[in-house]
Amino acid sequence: MKEIVNNSEALCEFLKKMIIETLKLEGVTIEGIDSNVPLFRKGLGLDSIDALELVVAIEKIFNVIIEDEEVGKKAFASINALAKFIQKKYKQGK
Amino acid sequence: MIVTGGTKGLGKAIALSFALEGAWVGVNYSSDDESGSRTEAELKGLATKSLLLKADVSIGSDVEMMIGRVLDEWEYVDILVNNAGIIRDKLLMFLDEKDWDRVVEVNLKGTYLCSRAIIKTMIARRFGRIINITSPSALTGRAGQTNYSASKGGIISFTKSLSKEMARLGITVNAVCPGIVSTPMIEDLDQETKSNLLNMIPMGRFGEPEDIAWAVLFLASEKAGYITGQVLAADGGLT
Repeated sequence: MKEIVNNSEALCEFLKKMIIETLKLEGVTIEGIDSNVPLFRKGLGLDSIDALELVVAIEKIFNVIIEDEEVGKKAFASINALAKFIQKKYKQGK
Repeated sequence: MIVTGGTKGLGKAIALSFALEGAWVGVNYSSDDESGSRTEAELKGLATKSLLLKADVSIGSDVEMMIGRVLDEWEYVDILVNNAGIIRDKLLMFLDEKDWDRVVEVNLKGTYLCSRAIIKTMIARRFGRIINITSPSALTGRAGQTNYSASKGGIISFTKSLSKEMARLGITVNAVCPGIVSTPMIEDLDQETKSNLLNMIPMGRFGEPEDIAWAVLFLASEKAGYITGQVLAADGGLT
């Protein structure tokens, strides 16, 4: 996992796949998700309940805890923001 | 499954009923080690796996440790029954802050803390059953129980709101409202009080702990998968 986390491009791709699989998004492909577009509402169209599932998935896969809603809002701003958040947590030793 | 306040009375009946159905049963209690050991021994003869869990449900760190221990041993928990509850009955004029706080802390905050600690594992598996024990006092009110009825009424509102959060994730959240259940406390009442109470129950008998446990078992079953945010009264028609 550390190798993927250290490679931003690979991490973004991994996160897109994780989101599609976790939320069982139909008709959405990895290529179809822009890394800079907001994940919620107007962007990918996710909502706060989807966020709960993603919080659990991220904790399970990366062992990174999103401790509150404010942190979550920033982390889920976009795929890029989420990748940076996970990388930062890894640097801090989670 | 975990049942809080599970070593005595209704909680124990619920724990034993689930054990008979083949569930792995974790029973929580806060202070009475003797009843804890007794229930643990009974469960060992019935349940495939069982755990005795000492924790004060009103303290976040206690709850986190308790749930953590169960997850370490069993990996996941599918069913949580928030049953732990206390009473400190007094008319409002004489009800001090300490008794208000303690009842709300154990009954309502305990339900919140245990539910919060368990939902991650349920979300990860996209399956879960949370069943909260409320009271007729929440539905109809009772003199001397402003603290208790407020806490139990809060549990109903909590149940309804959490059910909305969890519905899409395969987790149902319901409440069971027991009526007047036959316990040593009821048996010790004088004949007149007992018959007054019985007159309030259309079915003309007190509930047995098993009557309530069956309602909880039903809501925990696969067959109840489309029921969420509801209050199921098992009370002989009392409410």
